[in-house]
Amino acid sequence: MIDQLPAIMVLAPMFGALMIGLFGQKDHRVCFPIVFTSLIISLGAAIGCANLVTKDGTIDYFMAGWEEPLGIGIQLRIDHLNALVIVLIGVATTLVSFFSIRRVGALDTEKTPHFYILYLLLCTGLYGITITADAFNLFVLVEITSLTSYGLIAMGSSRRGTHAAINYVLMGTIGASFYLLGVGYLYLKTGTLNMHDIQAILQANEEVRNSNAVIIAFLFILMGIWIKMAFFPLHGWLPNAYSYCPSSTACLLAPLMTKISVYVMIRVMISIFGLEWIFIHLGWSHLVVILAVIAIVAGSVLALAQREIKKMLCYLIVAEVGYMVGGAWLSDSNMWGLSGAMYHVLSDALMTLCLFFVAGIWSKCIDAKEIDDLEGVFKKMPITSACFILGALAMIGVPPTSGFFSKFYLIRGGIEGGHWEYVAALLFSSLVNAVLFFRIFEIAFFGKNPPEGHGHDEEHHDDHEDLHPVLEHEVSWRVTIPLIVTAVLIVLLGLFNGPVVEFIREAFPPTSEIVSARP
Amino acid sequence: MLTKVIAFIAVAITGSLLLYGVADFPSFGDPNSPANAGVEGGAPSISQYFITESYKDTKVPNLVTSVLADYRGYDTMFETVVVFAGGMAIFAILRVLRSKEEPPKPQSRAETFVHGDHNRIIVGTTCKLVIPVIQLFALYVIAHGHHSPGGGFQGGVLIGASFILLALAADLKTALSRLNEPNYIRLACIGILIYAGFGVLCQILGGNFLDYGVLQPVLFTDGPEMARSHSMLGVEIGVALTVSTIMFAIYANLASRGTLNEGL
Repeated sequence: MIDQLPAIMVLAPMFGALMIGLFGQKDHRVCFPIVFTSLIISLGAAIGCANLVTKDGTIDYFMAGWEEPLGIGIQLRIDHLNALVIVLIGVATTLVSFFSIRRVGALDTEKTPHFYILYLLLCTGLYGITITADAFNLFVLVEITSLTSYGLIAMGSSRRGTHAAINYVLMGTIGASFYLLGVGYLYLKTGTLNMHDIQAILQANEEVRNSNAVIIAFLFILMGIWIKMAFFPLHGWLPNAYSYCPSSTACLLAPLMTKISVYVMIRVMISIFGLEWIFIHLGWSHLVVILAVIAIVAGSVLALAQREIKKMLCYLIVAEVGYMVGGAWLSDSNMWGLSGAMYHVLSDALMTLCLFFVAGIWSKCIDAKEIDDLEGVFKKMPITSACFILGALAMIGVPPTSGFFSKFYLIRGGIEGGHWEYVAALLFSSLVNAVLFFRIFEIAFFGKNPPEGHGHDEEHHDDHEDLHPVLEHEVSWRVTIPLIVTAVLIVLLGLFNGPVVEFIREAFPPTSEIVSARP
Repeated sequence: MLTKVIAFIAVAITGSLLLYGVADFPSFGDPNSPANAGVEGGAPSISQYFITESYKDTKVPNLVTSVLADYRGYDTMFETVVVFAGGMAIFAILRVLRSKEEPPKPQSRAETFVHGDHNRIIVGTTCKLVIPVIQLFALYVIAHGHHSPGGGFQGGVLIGASFILLALAADLKTALSRLNEPNYIRLACIGILIYAGFGVLCQILGGNFLDYGVLQPVLFTDGPEMARSHSMLGVEIGVALTVSTIMFAIYANLASRGTLNEGL
């Protein structure tokens, strides 16, 4: 049973989707229990796997039992790099499913079963992408996540959502094809699709390693993943897609899709091509860090220009992607940058989840889509707003939230790698985040033009009805509980940053193998 | 204009990079190329393995089928899921459920065919003759995937095409009366369920997911090889179910703009 956990984790949501297709069409009430059960099973399996990794190290699972010779079957591998990512996926998808019961967001309720079918298939795809050790299998699962997310994004009621989805379809397809082309080139040079086998060949065989085809394969794989993660010049599809889709879709996609793509990039770097080859042989790290710096600055400035809350958060995601790509390519000799990027995948997913939850609640319950609509929201919705403050502080990077520690590791990597421009960009972006969020705090606390003499009335009112008016506007527990759990997780991840980063760092090759790429 | 220039530059760069990489490729059909003979430092060549061992492992003469449905069965299952997800996504986007006029009432086939003009009669009669043949051939393609080119995807597309032909020749309602909406979604689910069910059954019997060899006691075969061979037929049938129904579902939704009332 225990050795089947990786397969159970990936397949449970898929079976859930099939059950909804079979039984959920007539009676929509059975949908949610099925969704919840299957996601809980997956989450349990993910935690079980992570636990096994802590105890025994890497877990390998060979589909259909084809082990020898390596590469004839499909290998799944859970190691220190992805053990925490699968737990993150489990936690986030379960919380969002809770959030989606009330369907905070304009959705056609007749299509509830189909929404959940797509939702669960997306979860299957995300789990599968994270644990696969086969370059082609990764592509197939990326296709599943893309197709389902196109559907989920276009399900919103607004026409702009449909336009955004078409845009995303085009960009996403280009990204996926680039990845596939890269894998094809790699297969022609190595004759295998298994990531670890490719790596063994690249390490052992100098002729293959130095061939142009392999370099171009790497370039195309990288470009494909960058499109998928919305790395700055390729980010065009993201802001509209995530701001005009239904809220529960945004809450699922915004924290997970880009972050999983970052994970895939790191996985490709470590497990296919090898850090040594990338940093020393290619020596592109300076260029990529500069691209990342541009992404961070541009994302932050564009976020500053937005009036809509969700759009603003979307551009912050673009900036955060810059953090992670830059961090992964810092090539400092102790690999603090890479560990910071991996830690930031977890921490940024939780922060984004928290903020998108709040944005979804606000847009539904008090119809606040723009920052100016938030006047006095703190008084109306204290719990939601408190969580928003926590998420915002994490974005800015205030201790003890996880956002502070991820920036700490990234900056440490930047200093040790000598990439001062990256450090400066991080600090600049934190500053912009501070300005952005304090602007919102100000409007939400005091309003745009605090009316004089209004205070007296308010006081009088409060005396009359005790706490009741304070919690009156607050949304139901089904929505607040996932939000509070996310907020608590942000703090917990921050407090336990030491063990988490130590855990992640076990995935990296010994530091002596990687010398700094600095000339 | 500017966007066209930028697009052209991007395409030119991409294309020239790809061509630049091609220069490094092994020549076409080279028996010593990495894909055929393996590379030093890696695992032994997988192509050699498939050519020499796959018949011994699975008793399936068609290498492609054994790679597709057994060695890389996990991929193929997800390819089927991709088809299913595509169908669901199209449903989610296009399907119009709001307008509740009247449920498509089943029309008798004779009515639709006879009432038409002469064109209808010719087309209708031809379809009557052709559709059974297409479906029969589809079943042959599915069942014969072990020995010749074919299998679940191809056979499924053929079955789907036969329904689309019916919808084109008569009208969408006639086709939908044969296979209505809740049913085609259910059948698509059942298709994947058959595939994944084989996998889970293997897990229950102690193997890994999709390790068909352990199904030997359930399928009453001579050895694990024959169990693999029979299970492959089973999963191909699952694939065919999903592909055929989703093909038809996509056509029905696209042709009627999501209303499922009137087709092309």
